[in-house]
Amino acid sequence: MMHCTMDDLVALQANEASVWARRHVEDCTACRAELDKLYQRVAQLKALPALRPPRDRWSVVRDVVRTQRARRRRTWGGWGLATAAALAGALLVPGLGSNGTLRAELSIAKNQSATLEDQLQSYDVDGRVLTGRMAAKVAELEDRIAVIDGDLARFGTLKPQAQDAELVQLWKQRVDLMRQLVNVRVSTARYVGL
Amino acid sequence: MTVALAVPDVLVARAQAGDEAALEALYRAFETPVYNLARRMLRNAEDAEDVLQETFLEVVKSIRDYRGEGYLWGWIRRIAATKALMRIRREQLRATEPLDIEPGKPGMHVGANLDLERAFEHLTDTSRSVVWLHDVEGYTHEEIAELMGKSVSFSKSQLARAHARMRRLLDEGAGDGEGAHA
Repeated sequence: MMHCTMDDLVALQANEASVWARRHVEDCTACRAELDKLYQRVAQLKALPALRPPRDRWSVVRDVVRTQRARRRRTWGGWGLATAAALAGALLVPGLGSNGTLRAELSIAKNQSATLEDQLQSYDVDGRVLTGRMAAKVAELEDRIAVIDGDLARFGTLKPQAQDAELVQLWKQRVDLMRQLVNVRVSTARYVGL
Repeated sequence: MTVALAVPDVLVARAQAGDEAALEALYRAFETPVYNLARRMLRNAEDAEDVLQETFLEVVKSIRDYRGEGYLWGWIRRIAATKALMRIRREQLRATEPLDIEPGKPGMHVGANLDLERAFEHLTDTSRSVVWLHDVEGYTHEEIAELMGKSVSFSKSQLARAHARMRRLLDEGAGDGEGAHA
């Protein structure tokens, strides 16, 4: 008597079996038992305990996140300076009207942001300590800046030509947060006494 | 294993904005399922750790591209499976993938009674990947074929061969003879 092959059984499990296999398994005890074994194996595989990573790899991922963030800030800062210079030239051209005013505000905000970035870069962050409360404040400010950076990135994607009030507002918010961050870093941190 | 599929939208939004705490929360939520998937697909534990790391580096890089279509776990799982399969392909290019390992051969820690987990471990990386993705993760043969760059019939035949192999190993471990359903 011909029995089901494993291909037939796997197909039966997936409801894709041939008519012959479906009829055969109804009459053949051995093949029905094999099909049950297949179901059991699959159930047992699903029930295997989760294997947990032996080591924590988050620190590596986190370092990459931080590097990307620092690079993005430098990019924004550099872009701010370059744009400020370009817009300063553009503002000399008469007839820009209110658009010109927005551009000037944008230029100033980006310039301020870049200056604050430079200030933060030149500051020896690792050599100083913060109280727990201040460290939490720094983390919160950095997170809020990251959110604004995300908004700015999306803004650039959605409206590449836009330099409207919304954009200026975002940059002003960023400057405000950067100012607070520099203030916390510079004013409240102390050098480690080594 | 069961994976908690629901991740708050606000957490995803914060992660998309580059919020480190949110990214770490995602890492913590999915590190075990990602590692488990990779470890089940790959023979080597260190390779699975590398896949875990590569997966989350990709998640960090591409999280902004995630549009909230389907579960986040489905998106992350696909990245992890792709990374694991890339590793398998690289290994296959380096050397011919070994045939299924015979129990009792030198170097293998096989007792008289093979349990299912051990039988599963004796399959090739490719066979294990197909079994795990299909039987446990619920991928269709079409999805597996796409991930592997192979045909649907390849996926189906790998699955059948792997089950035949596991059945034989389990029977041999239990001291039974070969059945008719290999």
